[in-house]
Amino acid sequence: MHIMNKPLILILLLTALALSACTGATPVVTQSLPEAAPATPTTEPVVPTKAPSSTPEPTSTPEPTATPEPIVITDGLGREIVLEMPAQQIVSLAPSNTEILFALGAGSQVVARDAFSDFPAEAQDLTDIGGGWGEINTESLLSLAPDLILAAEINAPEQIQALEDLGLKVFYLANPKELEGMYDNLRIVARLTGREQEAEDLVASLQTRVAAVDALMAGVEIRPLVFYELDGTDANAPWTSGPGTFIDLLVERAGGENLGGTLDSAWVQISIEALITQNPDIILLGDAVWGGVTPESVSARTGWDAIAAVKNQQVYPFDDNLVSRPGPRMVDGLEALAKLLHPELHP
Amino acid sequence: MTRLRAHPYLINLVLLGLALALSVAVGSVFIPPATLVRILVSRLPGVYVQADWPDTFTTIIQQIRLPHTFLITLTGAALAGSGAAYQGLFRNPLADPYLIGVASGAGLGAVLSLTIHWPSTLLGLYTVPASAFIGAALTVAIVYNLARVGRAVPTTTMILAGVAFSSFATSLTSFLMFRSNTELRRALSWLLGGALISGWDPLLALIPYITVGLGSLLLSGHALNVLQFGEEQAQQLGLPVERVKLLLILAASLTTAAAVAFSGIIGFIGLVVPHVVRIFWGSDYRRIIPLSILGGGSALLLADLLARIALTPQILPLGIVTALVGAPFFVWILRQAKAQAFW
Repeated sequence: MHIMNKPLILILLLTALALSACTGATPVVTQSLPEAAPATPTTEPVVPTKAPSSTPEPTSTPEPTATPEPIVITDGLGREIVLEMPAQQIVSLAPSNTEILFALGAGSQVVARDAFSDFPAEAQDLTDIGGGWGEINTESLLSLAPDLILAAEINAPEQIQALEDLGLKVFYLANPKELEGMYDNLRIVARLTGREQEAEDLVASLQTRVAAVDALMAGVEIRPLVFYELDGTDANAPWTSGPGTFIDLLVERAGGENLGGTLDSAWVQISIEALITQNPDIILLGDAVWGGVTPESVSARTGWDAIAAVKNQQVYPFDDNLVSRPGPRMVDGLEALAKLLHPELHP
Repeated sequence: MTRLRAHPYLINLVLLGLALALSVAVGSVFIPPATLVRILVSRLPGVYVQADWPDTFTTIIQQIRLPHTFLITLTGAALAGSGAAYQGLFRNPLADPYLIGVASGAGLGAVLSLTIHWPSTLLGLYTVPASAFIGAALTVAIVYNLARVGRAVPTTTMILAGVAFSSFATSLTSFLMFRSNTELRRALSWLLGGALISGWDPLLALIPYITVGLGSLLLSGHALNVLQFGEEQAQQLGLPVERVKLLLILAASLTTAAAVAFSGIIGFIGLVVPHVVRIFWGSDYRRIIPLSILGGGSALLLADLLARIALTPQILPLGIVTALVGAPFFVWILRQAKAQAFW
């Protein structure tokens, strides 16, 4: 019987292939999510037309805050997110988001965080819903009944889609391109959480601090060449941050010149030979926090003693979280960099 | 061990049933068993149960656990079934469903689509599984044609071509990942056996491949038995060897490719489950194939359960768990069975 059946099975197999090629692909077309069509901005806001009946007509009640306007904001994926009122049960899916929420004083409105969110200390007491290198624990997340999930670019689009499919409200906060964009992000999160005033105060104080650094660096003649080490596990080809990264931006703004700024991609390896040739004046160890790298261990590396920074003991550990998370602590990072790069201006 | 041999199908069905029940019942959110049963019953057509549980429970069961459980079952069944067929076809105990390049091809396809940001508008999130599937299918086609000598495809040549092409594809994958900055985490999590897409849709896409692919394999038990005499002998016994080979490769590869496309690369299940089946219930392929399909489903369900609860709230990539737990288990079984030559 087996010989008779073979051609039949083959035909079955092929038809199934054709069949499932249809069923497998088509139902999703409508749901194409990332960068799909942010092109049409607010031609017609999809604000739910509020039935005017529900709120009682202003029968001379003097309370001015009685009618809450729904909050409508376009998120980083070009979608209109509508909140009836400021979110009170927030899940943050990225360390930067957690830091923004707490900096705005909305920490009490956060119920859970991703595994990487470790700042401020209070955030560590929140429910951990995973993330990290594994998946987000959708079950625990769902059981917390959040009214807003604050996602970021480090979250996979599939994950965001999965959460939305479960009927959850996900706001995608895009990474800012420069400090000003970070202020915009603060204002966006402030509107989502009803912390507008706090945001204005915070932005004003951040702007003052940045302006102070700018003023300090305005007349700087000598800009030290800075090598920022992201990962020196391979001492012959350490990773550094290239053009367009926050590190690049902040080092320049702090009166330095980023060695990686001339390389061809955002996160790149550089050979020890090129590094010695370029001869940086200062080496910052971004891998000190997680990798245990110290100035001593750097000077012990073969060949590194030829570099000016090592010779002159200009190798410093640096808190990488200050410059890699697009949140308000970037200004702390800027100030710390300015101090390291130009100690002569900081008596 | 002898008593286990008595009712192979009954034992495996009970095992699968237990694994299914555990997989639906256990998760990071505790749902009392009684409630769980009531939720499941309330989903049946024509049955009305007064809902006295929170809505989130229903969502967790219906949208998270059930589709996930079925996806894992199908994936395990596909991998173990294909692995059994390949071990028979290549007459090689080291054969697994990835032997002739399905995994490396799928990996290349997936990572390629992740790193070049392929116009994701057309297929949306399904770009990754689609390109993984295409990568796997193309790889098998290339390997098959590379190995062809005239009208025959010697299995040894196919294994060698598969190994060579796999290395090539894996290197390309590594290169792409090395060059990519942003999508490393997604790529790595897929390569370690993490399902990127959840919900019911992936199941709908999988079912045609799995049913047809595994169905064909189920019918090939007798042919595989004949093949064990060697290809020449089998040909003389009246088996159209080359045609059977092509069919088996087609069925096993499509099944595996479809499973891998949605679940990522999960090792070890496809290699070990057929061996365990062989140790317990002998080397008749009419039995090995169906028992491997059942056993593969239960084995992957149990591994997945461990992946979900071992480090809560973190969920481990499944590919890590299968080998981490599967290898010691397999060695133990091997030692138990060492008195008898099972292969």
